Amino acid sequence: MIKLSDIEKVYQTKSIETVALQHVNLEVPKGEFLSIMGPSGCGKSTLLNIMGLLDVPSKGVVEIDGQTILSYKDKELAHIRNQKIGFVFQSYHLVQDLSVLDNVELPLLYRSGISGSERSKRAKIALEKVGLSARTRHYPSQLSGGQRQRVAIARALIGQPEIILADEPTGNLDSVMGEEIMNILLDLNREDGTTIVMVTHDENMALKTERLIRFFDGQQVSDARMYDFQKV
Amino acid sequence: MIRHLFKLIWNRKKSNFLLITEIFFSFMVLFAVLSFVFYNYCNYTKPLGFDHQDVWQLTLRTNSDSTAQNRLIQEQLLQRVKSFDEVEHVSLSNSNVPFAFSMMTNSLSYGSNKEVQANVYDVQDDFKDVMKLQLQQGRWFGPQDDASRHRPIVINLMLKQKLFGEEEAIGKLIPINDSTNYTVIGVMDYYRAYSEFNAEEPAFFSRINLQQNEHALWSSLLIRVKPGTGVAFEEKMVRELSRIAQNWTLEVTTLEKMRKSKARLTLVPMIALGLVCGFLIFNVALGLFGVLWHNINRRHSEIGLRRALGASSAQIYRQFIGEVLVLATFGLLLGVVFAIQLPLLEVMQVESVVYISALFAAVGLIYLLTALCAFYPSRQAAAIQPAVALHEE
Repeated sequence: MIKLSDIEKVYQTKSIETVALQHVNLEVPKGEFLSIMGPSGCGKSTLLNIMGLLDVPSKGVVEIDGQTILSYKDKELAHIRNQKIGFVFQSYHLVQDLSVLDNVELPLLYRSGISGSERSKRAKIALEKVGLSARTRHYPSQLSGGQRQRVAIARALIGQPEIILADEPTGNLDSVMGEEIMNILLDLNREDGTTIVMVTHDENMALKTERLIRFFDGQQVSDARMYDFQKV
Repeated sequence: MIRHLFKLIWNRKKSNFLLITEIFFSFMVLFAVLSFVFYNYCNYTKPLGFDHQDVWQLTLRTNSDSTAQNRLIQEQLLQRVKSFDEVEHVSLSNSNVPFAFSMMTNSLSYGSNKEVQANVYDVQDDFKDVMKLQLQQGRWFGPQDDASRHRPIVINLMLKQKLFGEEEAIGKLIPINDSTNYTVIGVMDYYRAYSEFNAEEPAFFSRINLQQNEHALWSSLLIRVKPGTGVAFEEKMVRELSRIAQNWTLEVTTLEKMRKSKARLTLVPMIALGLVCGFLIFNVALGLFGVLWHNINRRHSEIGLRRALGASSAQIYRQFIGEVLVLATFGLLLGVVFAIQLPLLEVMQVESVVYISALFAAVGLIYLLTALCAFYPSRQAAAIQPAVALHEE
């Protein structure tokens, strides 16, 4: 599904060169729930951005569904993001001036041939899936942190993506809310077969996933499957 | 997407209120100035109804109180001017010659149409040839009018419509007092003597009959000279006429000079207003540009999000341009509601087409202005790297 080969990312300013990622080789098969852990600044989010085609590596090859996407133009990258990838962010990234329903509809605005009523119908289904069908007319400021994150998940779901990239989705939530969000993601993975890559600082959350990768100083230091968790 | 943009701007109406107000006022100022410009342009493009090239005005000012002597001198002057080889046609007239700063009006009534105010021009039979007038119906004055029981007049089309509507005007009698009437003998399409920039007004020509008005004096002579006649003839003519009218003040000017001087009266305020309006719009544009720039900088994370959700940089660019146009639409809708009242109520009796044209032009210019102001900030927004924008949150 996603294949990264010898990825390197270097941030270059006039005087400083910062290596964010080096020699990253990673393969995420279809339907896998993978978590990435590591200290702050170790390159987790950079890796997620490269997987989500939001950033380009300085070196290496990114493949999605067997297609090498590095030579793709901006419009093609945007199309792949829209069709195949859903994003969930730590700080939700909801548009404050749009209602819950309108926020969830956003990805479909960039798809041609979907009518307003169809968008609305699909948004309601996505919101029902995350248990927020009663809040469609609310605005983000009227919701709790957990509810906002559920809206963000509904937004990620609406386009029926094959991959969900979640950057610390429980990072701003208390343990109860975090648990709720984690359960939603687990259900998505188990029931719909959605491939999920999640960056987290929370060991407990990471242990619920199938596979855990650890990063340190821009390098992958471990890759453990579910059955190895007790040893990790 | 358009619905989405309207929703977005509507939901942000509080923060966009000042911007919408600014656009509204800019539109109103632009609409007012353009209405003024279009009104003048519209009049300028219409026919004057006469040809003023090679026509001179000789102003006659008497210095004696003896009416009989003055009248004699005036007739001698008239004959002498006619006798010059360089002169083609001559007509006595009041001071309200074309492009003069002088007006004479009279009110006429016919049937139920009471008190129609009209400009009145006292002229001789030769006036038609002096000014090269074209008649639409009937005839101009001639010797056959010497014996007329009523005072013959030639009216313009506007006066005809105000007095008689679609009825035939020729032969109609218009009462002057209990015993005298005007009789309409001719109708001409246009006669806009006051200025090229003034609208057509009701007007009529009354015949000067030197035999019937033995004590009357007229203050101007309109002279059509042969093409190419210049200052040398002017000096010669004034010198010779001064010998006849020794104590009189005689001044010669061309109608072309008078036209230019009259045009300046309209053009100067129009240019001044245009400059003030241009300066105002430039300031509005700077303000708009600044606000849009600021807004886009505030919305980096939203831009990053939209990019992540599948918007290409071109779509981001179009979205921001679209938002500004929607914003302008809100301001313009408000403005159009006010502006449309002017043609509906026929304010200042200006033709609707002037207001409607000004309205469309002002709407177009505001859209263009806002799009231009949004162009650079939107390009900047489109160039933002999604990963960087999302990281800023």
